[in-house]
This record gives sequence, C-alpha cells and structure tokens, in this order.
Amino acid sequence: MTTIVGIKTKDGVVLGSDKRASKGFFIGSKIVQKIAKIDDTLAVAIAGQLSDAEYIIKVAKAERRLMELRRGFPLSIREATRLIANIAYSGLRNYQPYYVELLVAGVDKEGAHVFAADMSGAITEEDFASSGSGSPIAYGVLESLYNKDVTNSQASEIASRAVSAAMERDPGSGNGINILAIQNLQKEAVA
Amino acid sequence: MSESQNGNRFPFYGPQGRLILVDSALEAVSRGSTTIGIKTPNFAMIASQIKPTHPLMEPSEKIFPIDFHIGATGAGYIGDILQLIDTLRLESQKHRLTYETPIDIDSLAKHLSSFLHNYTTYAVRPQAASMIVVGEDQTGIQLYQVDPSGTFFRGSGFAIGQASETALDTITKGYNKNLSLDQAIELGRKAIEKALGEKPIVETGIIEPGKAFRKIRTEN
Repeated sequence: MTTIVGIKTKDGVVLGSDKRASKGFFIGSKIVQKIAKIDDTLAVAIAGQLSDAEYIIKVAKAERRLMELRRGFPLSIREATRLIANIAYSGLRNYQPYYVELLVAGVDKEGAHVFAADMSGAITEEDFASSGSGSPIAYGVLESLYNKDVTNSQASEIASRAVSAAMERDPGSGNGINILAIQNLQKEAVA
Repeated sequence: MSESQNGNRFPFYGPQGRLILVDSALEAVSRGSTTIGIKTPNFAMIASQIKPTHPLMEPSEKIFPIDFHIGATGAGYIGDILQLIDTLRLESQKHRLTYETPIDIDSLAKHLSSFLHNYTTYAVRPQAASMIVVGEDQTGIQLYQVDPSGTFFRGSGFAIGQASETALDTITKGYNKNLSLDQAIELGRKAIEKALGEKPIVETGIIEPGKAFRKIRTEN
C-alpha cells in the first residue's frame, strides 16, 4: 500500500507521500506521517511495514549521529543509504526480512541524492523514484513531468500531482499529501 | 602502597602512579628504528630507517600501504607493528563494507588508539609499537601518531624510535608549510641521519591529494 515519491532537483531533494495506513481492506489511519526526517539534511520516505521502517530509521539516526561525533563530519547520503541497506540485507539473510521499501533522500557536500533501498538490501541512485502500491501511477506522472532542471518548488508540485494521481486510482493510497523539501545544505519544509 | 605489600597483585601502576607496562613498551619503542612523518597542506610523507642486516638477508618492509589513500609505519617490535598494520587494514575494509566509502584518517587513528588502549587495562602485554599514519580524506591530508598507551596526536611533524628527539628537532627546524615534496623527503632523510649519526637506508611513503599512497626506497 502507500504511494511515496522522491525527486532530485537543481537545488535539493523533494519527498512526497500519501497519509493512508491500510489494515487489509480497512483504512487503519488517515494521518500517517510516512516521511521521517533523520536530520536537517537527510530524510526517508517509508513504504511497507511501518514498524520495520521505524526500527531501521532509528538505528540509522543513531549511527549517523555517532559517526558525526566520532569523526567530526557527517555521513554522506550514500554512506547513510549503504548503512540502511546493510541492515535490510542482514534481515534478508537471516530469514527475517524487514518488509520495507525506502526512499532515502538528502543533501551533502557533493549535492543532492535520491536513493531507492528495498528489503533485498539493493540500492539504486535515481533522479526520481517512487515506491508503494501507487507507484506505477505515480511513475506515469513523474515520467511525463520530470526534467533535470526542476527546482524544489516545481518538484514539490510534481510530487504532489504524482501522489494525487495515485490516490485517485490506488485503493491503498489516499487521505492527503505530505511533502518535504530539503534545500542544498539547508532544509525547508513545505506545507 | 608498595608492591611487596600488594603480594601477587598485578603491578599496573608503579609507585609514581605510572603504568609500568606502558612505560616499558614506550622504552622498547624508543629503541626501535628511527621513524618520522611530515605533513604539509599539499602532501604528507612517512619515512623509516631500515636496520642493516647481513648481506644475504632481504631487509624487512617498514612502510605499509593500508588502503588506496592511507599508509602507515611504526617503530618498536616489528611483530607488534605488523599486527597493528593488519588491524588498520581490516578496519579500513570494514568501513568500505559498511559505508561503501574510504575511511577517514581520524576514525582509523581513533580505532587504533582504542585497540592499543585495550592492552593497558588488562594484565596483558601492551603492544611495543608507536605508529605513524598518513592519508587523505574529506578533511584533507592528515598525519597521526599513535602510542602504546592509546594516546594519539594529529600534527605536521612526528618522530618516533631511536633518538627521536634529535630527529624531531631537525624536522621542527627545517619545517615550513611550503616545503616541496622533494624537500620534505630530504628533510626526513636528514632527520633520520642526524638521529643515527650515520647514513641510513630509508624507506619512504608518500600521499598526495587524489593519488594512491606510494612507496619509494632511497638507498645510501
């Protein structure tokens, strides 16, 4: 269930999500926050088992803070994503996979990054990505509207449209949209 | 409390409150081959004297590549040095597995420091080796010295081993930020020569931004 999208832009990254949590054919919650900020430069959008995702994010958050304190500068987005993927992979290899598909997005010294990480432990870097049951519909919108020169405010609009399109036709997604935009090396939250 | 009153308790601290075993390890280091490190903003180099052996024996390696961007050397018991080198190499590769990026020199020096510190808290033999680590990371060129106590220093010039005070003195006097690589190598060689009072065989390791750590051997 769920629709989440991530877009890399000229001046940062944008994450978007719906707000529905499904319990089978029942809507368990209409106000779920599926975008988790790890810190001011890194955020994760969650699709799948919320508890699994929350656990992974908690570990990633702690490891990231610890590493920054120890070595004096933060983990890059790629390093943080690899860390998350390693947790997912160890779950898979122990026959207790974390049922998650995550979009890891943020900014570091090298610029903006969007990664897609899944329960297999694989990560891919993307210009834009979507995940969850509504993703085929969201991808249709992203494919037609995305270009490499979009700004954060344009991308927020695109993300919003992609998620709304998915909410129209995917029963697993709905009840409103959350958008988070991160500016290159400083954060800015949009409605 | 004197040791005799202590009976067979393990003597960690001496009467002056110093860690006896660590002091002994440092003493062993100060008899090791003279080893130096020099850093400028543009490069860093490490050099170590290779002790003359008999003509039929190949002299042992003293400069060790740790990872693409890191090298290390040490003074003290060569067996201990080799163990510590392996620890450094292992930690570098662990970091690559965990984060998919090269390790930064600070993290590596801190790891070595805590590894050595472990040997000071139990009734074991502290490692008789001081290490000098150089490398390049996101924060630039870095030079570290790590002692058997686990103490570590970051800086632009270090000397350990036999007559290290004399060597460090030579480096301090000859150092400036604008040294060229050739000048630094020459300064390092001179420091070791002054310390020993004879022309040494020196092995040198160099790190420059964006380039792999590399070794050169200067005979004579």
